[in-house]
Amino acid sequence: MIDYTQIQKPQQYIGNEWNVVKKNHDGKITVCISYPDAYAIGMSNLGLRIIYGLLNEASDVVCERVFLPGQDFIGELLAQKNKLFSLETKTPLDSFEVIGFNLSCELNFINFLKILYLGGLALKSSERPNTIVMGGGLANPEPLAEFVDCFYLGEFESGAQSFLEVLRKYKDKESRLKALSEIEGFYVPRFYVAKLSADKYCFERTYHYASFPLRRAYVKDLNSAYYPRRWLIPHTPIVHDRVQIEIARGCPNRCTFCQARSLYYPYRERKPEIVGQLIKAIYETSGYENFSLLSLSASDYSSIESLIDETIGYFSPRKIGLSLPSLHIDDIIGGLYKKLIPLKKTSLTCALEVARDDLRSKLNKKIDTSKLFEAAAILRALNIRHLKIYFMFGFPGETEEDLAAIGDFLQKLMHQTKIALHVSVNAFVPKPFSSWESVPMAQESELILKRSIILKHIPAWRSISVTISPIKRTLLEAILCRAPREFSKVIHNVLLKELKSSLPVNSPGDSFWWDRWKKAMEEEGFDYRPLLEASSSNFPWSFIEKGAGSENTCSKLQIPNHKLQINSNNQNHNG
Amino acid sequence: MDVKKYPLKVTLHKFGEMIYFSQLDLVKILERALRRAQLPLYFTQGYSPRVKLSFSNGLKLGVEGRIGVTFYFTENILLESLLEKLARQLPQGLEIITEPLE
Ligand code: SF4
Repeated sequence: MIDYTQIQKPQQYIGNEWNVVKKNHDGKITVCISYPDAYAIGMSNLGLRIIYGLLNEASDVVCERVFLPGQDFIGELLAQKNKLFSLETKTPLDSFEVIGFNLSCELNFINFLKILYLGGLALKSSERPNTIVMGGGLANPEPLAEFVDCFYLGEFESGAQSFLEVLRKYKDKESRLKALSEIEGFYVPRFYVAKLSADKYCFERTYHYASFPLRRAYVKDLNSAYYPRRWLIPHTPIVHDRVQIEIARGCPNRCTFCQARSLYYPYRERKPEIVGQLIKAIYETSGYENFSLLSLSASDYSSIESLIDETIGYFSPRKIGLSLPSLHIDDIIGGLYKKLIPLKKTSLTCALEVARDDLRSKLNKKIDTSKLFEAAAILRALNIRHLKIYFMFGFPGETEEDLAAIGDFLQKLMHQTKIALHVSVNAFVPKPFSSWESVPMAQESELILKRSIILKHIPAWRSISVTISPIKRTLLEAILCRAPREFSKVIHNVLLKELKSSLPVNSPGDSFWWDRWKKAMEEEGFDYRPLLEASSSNFPWSFIEKGAGSENTCSKLQIPNHKLQINSNNQNHNG
Repeated sequence: MDVKKYPLKVTLHKFGEMIYFSQLDLVKILERALRRAQLPLYFTQGYSPRVKLSFSNGLKLGVEGRIGVTFYFTENILLESLLEKLARQLPQGLEIITEPLE
C-alpha cells in the first residue's frame, strides 16, 4: 500500500473523479488507456476522454486509465516491488488485455515505455505473449513499431466497434492481431517488413490479408459520432480545466507547414443544435464552470456567430466561462467582439506565424494583420489581460528582414494596444504529412543564428514576454517524428539509460536530454542528419496513404534555398 | 441591483478518499456539486463572478474531520431541501451532517 500522505499531489492517484466509471472485471474485455504524461496533462486530452466514454458504453468492456506517476510515487512502487496500476480499480497493468496509448506527442515516447516497464510488461511487442499494446494519435508510427502491437491510424471512434468485435471473437493475441490487421485503420507492424534499399523505403506485407496500402480512417459524420456526455471531472486542477466541446474537426485552410490539417482531414462540422445539446447535457452532469469550443480554426465554422449567440445565452445567466481558443483575431475585432464582451475572457490567441505578409502568404496562412492595429480600442474594450501571439521561424527562403520584423511588429503592436504580449516562437519542423514534409529542415547552426537575430530585435520590455523553443528540443522532436523503424533501438537505448540513472531532483534542461539522445544515436550507429535533410518524396511513413486534399504541394512549389540571406548593413535594425 | 443573499451554514464531514483533497480543491468540488444540484447560487459581484462559499476552519491534507461551510443562495433554502438536492451530488467521502460543528 502506498501512503498517500507522503506523496506529492496525492489527488492524481485516487481515481474518484465525478462520473468515473468503475466496473467489475468478471468476464469482461479489459482495456486500460493512457496519455503518457502527468495526470494534469493527460486528463486535459480530449481523445482520451472520447475513447474512455466510448469503450465504457459497451456493457461487456471495462476501460480504465493510467498516467505517468511522479518520481516519488515511482520510487515507492519500486521499493515495494509493486506494479503500476490503473486509477479505477487499482489493477496492475499486466492484468489488462489491451493497453492503449495516445502517442501524439513525440517527446512522450520514453514516458510511454516507462509506463509499460512500471506496469510489469515487456517493452517489445514480440516479448509480450498476451497483452496487446495499442498506439494512436501519431502521424508516423515507425519509430515505435517494435514496441506497439497495433496502431490505429486516424480517429478511433470510426474503428472502435470493429475493434471490440475482434476482441469478442478471438481470444489469443496472434489471431486478434491478424483480424485487426485486415480492418481499415489498424496497422500491425509485425505483418510488414520495412527496409531501406538504394535510398528508398520499401514496405511489404508478410501476412497476406493485412491491409495494404494503409489508409487513415476517419469519422464520416461528427453529428452522429460518439461524444462523452458524462464528463469526467477531476477534483483537483488540471492543465486545461474546462469542458472541451469539439465544434469541428479538421481545417479547411492549407497552411504548408501544418500537420493537423492532414491528420484530421477532411474538414467536418458538428451542427449548432448538436453542440447546444452537448453543452446542456454536459453542464447538467458535470457542473463545470468553464467550457471551451474547440476546433482547429473556429473562424471557419459556418455559423460561428449564431453559435456564439446561443452559447452565451445559456452561459451568461449560469455564470459559465467560455473560451474560443482558435478564433482568428481579425474576426474578433472585425465583428464578434461585441458578443464576447460579456464573457470573462482574459486572453486572446493569435497565430501569426511570421511577421511579414509576403512570407506569410508563401506559407498559405490567411490572416489580416492590419486589422490588429486598427483595433486597439476594441481590444481594450474586451478587457483582456494579454494577447498570446505565435510565431515560427526556420523557413526556407526566410530573410534577415523577416526575422527582424518580429521585433518591430511587437513593438508597434504594443504601442497601439497597450496590452501585454505573450509571444511564443517555434522553429519550423517539416512534419510528416504536412505539405512541406519534404522541405529540408534548417541546420542546427542556422537555427541558432536565426534565433539570436529574432531575440536581438525584440524589445526588452516587461510587457512583452517571449518563450522561444530551445533548438535542441526542436531537433529532437524533428528526429522522433520523422524516424524510421530501426530507430526503435535508439529509443530503447535511451530508456535503459533513464532506468539506470535516477533522475535529478530538478528536472534537467533540454541539453541534458539532447546529450542523452545523441549518445544513444552514436552508440546505435544511427545518423540523424539524412532524416532531416531528405528532399525526396519517399519517407519511412510513405506507406500510409496521404488523404485526399493533403497532396504534396511541394513539387509544384519552388522551395527556396535555406541559406540565410544576411543583409550586409544589418546594423540598421538596431536603431 | 443588489441581489439579496441568504446564508446557510452546514457541517461537512470529510473522510475516506476525500481526505487527500485540499481546501482549495474543496471549493471547486462544492461549487460544481451546487451547480449540478441546480440550486439558486449567489455569485460574488464584479468582473469575474464566483460562487460564494466560506469555511469556518481548515483540515490538513490526509486528515479526516469536520468543516463548517456556509453556502449563499439568492433565495431562502431550507436545510432539508439542501440536503435532499446536494447529498447525491457529493462525491463519496463528503457528507453534510446536520449537527453543528462544536
Ligand atoms: S495552421 Fe493553418 S491549416 Fe493548420 S489548423 Fe491552423 S489554420 Fe488550419
